[in-house]
Amino acid sequence: MHWYAEGMRREAPRSEPPFAEQLLAQADALYNFARYLCRDPGEAEDLVQDAFTRALNAHSSFVVGTNLRAWLFRILRNTFLDAKRRQRKLPLTGREDCELESSGDTDWLRGDIEIDRLRGFVARDIEAALNRLSDDARSVVLLDLEGFTETEIASVMDTAVGTVKSRLARARAALRETLKEYAK
Amino acid sequence: MTDCERTRDQLLDAVRGRLAEPQNAHFTAHLQTCSQCRDLFERERALEHALELRPRFALPAALRDSLTASTTGAKDGKSVQRRRIGRWATLVLPGLAAALLAMLLVRGPAGARPSLIDEAINDHLRVLYAQHPIEIESGGIHQVKPWFAGKLDFAPVLQFSGDEEFPLEGGAIALFVDRKAATFIFKHRLHVASLFVFRSQDLSFPARTDQAIGERSATSAAARGYNVLLWQDHDLGYALVSDMDGKSLARLAGKLTER
Repeated sequence: MHWYAEGMRREAPRSEPPFAEQLLAQADALYNFARYLCRDPGEAEDLVQDAFTRALNAHSSFVVGTNLRAWLFRILRNTFLDAKRRQRKLPLTGREDCELESSGDTDWLRGDIEIDRLRGFVARDIEAALNRLSDDARSVVLLDLEGFTETEIASVMDTAVGTVKSRLARARAALRETLKEYAK
Repeated sequence: MTDCERTRDQLLDAVRGRLAEPQNAHFTAHLQTCSQCRDLFERERALEHALELRPRFALPAALRDSLTASTTGAKDGKSVQRRRIGRWATLVLPGLAAALLAMLLVRGPAGARPSLIDEAINDHLRVLYAQHPIEIESGGIHQVKPWFAGKLDFAPVLQFSGDEEFPLEGGAIALFVDRKAATFIFKHRLHVASLFVFRSQDLSFPARTDQAIGERSATSAAARGYNVLLWQDHDLGYALVSDMDGKSLARLAGKLTER
C-alpha cells in the first residue's frame, strides 16, 4: 500500500529523531483515539499494538518529509476497520452516514435527574455522546479535536475534503442534539 | 454565497480564533446584526467548550513498555495474545481495588468531592445545554426572586435586577454539589453568565481569596475557558461563571454584591 497522500505533505525538518522515537511520541494520542474507536480498553490496547506492528513493518513505505502523525492515525484506523470487517460487524464498503447509532438503552437519560448522576455529569456524558456517533462520525470529530486539518483528516480517512466538511458539520450537530437530550 | 452562508461556514474557525482579518471583522459585524447566526455561533462555542471536557485516556504503562520494546526490537515486547491472557489475570485485583477505593470515597471527607470551581463550571454547562434553561423569564428581580419561594429552603439574597450591560434573563432551580441552588442567568453581549446561590454549610470553599467584590472577598479561577468567582455572604455561597473576560465578570459581581 502506498501511504503517501497529498494532505500528509509537510516540510521535512533538517534532522528528524529516529523513526521509533517518533512513533512512541504519538502513542498517547493514538491510544486515546483507539479508546474512542473501540469503546473498550482491552480492544484499544490490542489495536494500538497491532497498528504499531503494521507501522514498523511499513517503515520503508513511509515517505520522509510527509506527515508521520497523519500516517500513523491512518494505519490505526485502517487496522480498526480491518478488525471490524473480520468480525463481520462492518460491511466491506465504508459507511457514509453520520447518523447516531441507536443505543436502545437511553431511558436513564430521560429519567429524573438525581444528585448522584449530576456529579461528574459532563465529562461522562460527553464521552457517551461521542460513543453514540457512528464510527466515521466519531473519527472525524476526534481527529478534528486532535488538531488535524480537514485535508489531513481526508487523508487519514481516505475520503474527499468536502466529505470531511459535511461529516464534521453533521456529527457536531448530532452531538449538540444528544447533549441537549442529556441536559433535559 | 450570502453573508449567512459565509458566516456559518466560518463558525468553527471563529470559535477556535482562526479567522484572519478582515474575515474576522466581517464575521463579528454580521453576528451583531443576525440573531440566527449569533445563536449558531453560541451553540458552536458551547459545544467546543463541552468537548474540551471529554475524557482523555492515558496510555497504560504496560502497553507503553510493550510498544517501547517492540520499537527497539527487544524480545520482551508482548504479543497481542499474551496481553489478552494477562488482562484476564489482572481483572479481579483491580476490580477489588476499585471497589475499596469507591467505598473510601463514599465515606471520605468533604475534600473528596469535586472542587466548587469544577462544580460551578459543570453547572454552568448544564445551563448552556438545557433546552429550557430558564424556568422563570425575567420581568425584573422582583419577579424572579419570589418565584423561588417554596422551591428552596432559603431565600436567595440578591438586589441587582440587571441593567443594559448585564440584563437579567431569568432564573431556574439547579443542583449545586448536593443541594438546591437558585440560578440567575445574565447576559453580556453574546456571553451568558450563571449565578448560583446556595447554602454554604459544609462546603469547602477555597481558603485563598484574591479579589475584593464590594465588601466581600472572592476567589477567582479560570478553567476550561471559563472564569469563575466564588464568595460567601453569611450562610449563603455564590458562584458566578461565564466565558466573558475576568474584568467584565468582576464588574458584574460588583453589581451583584451591591446593597
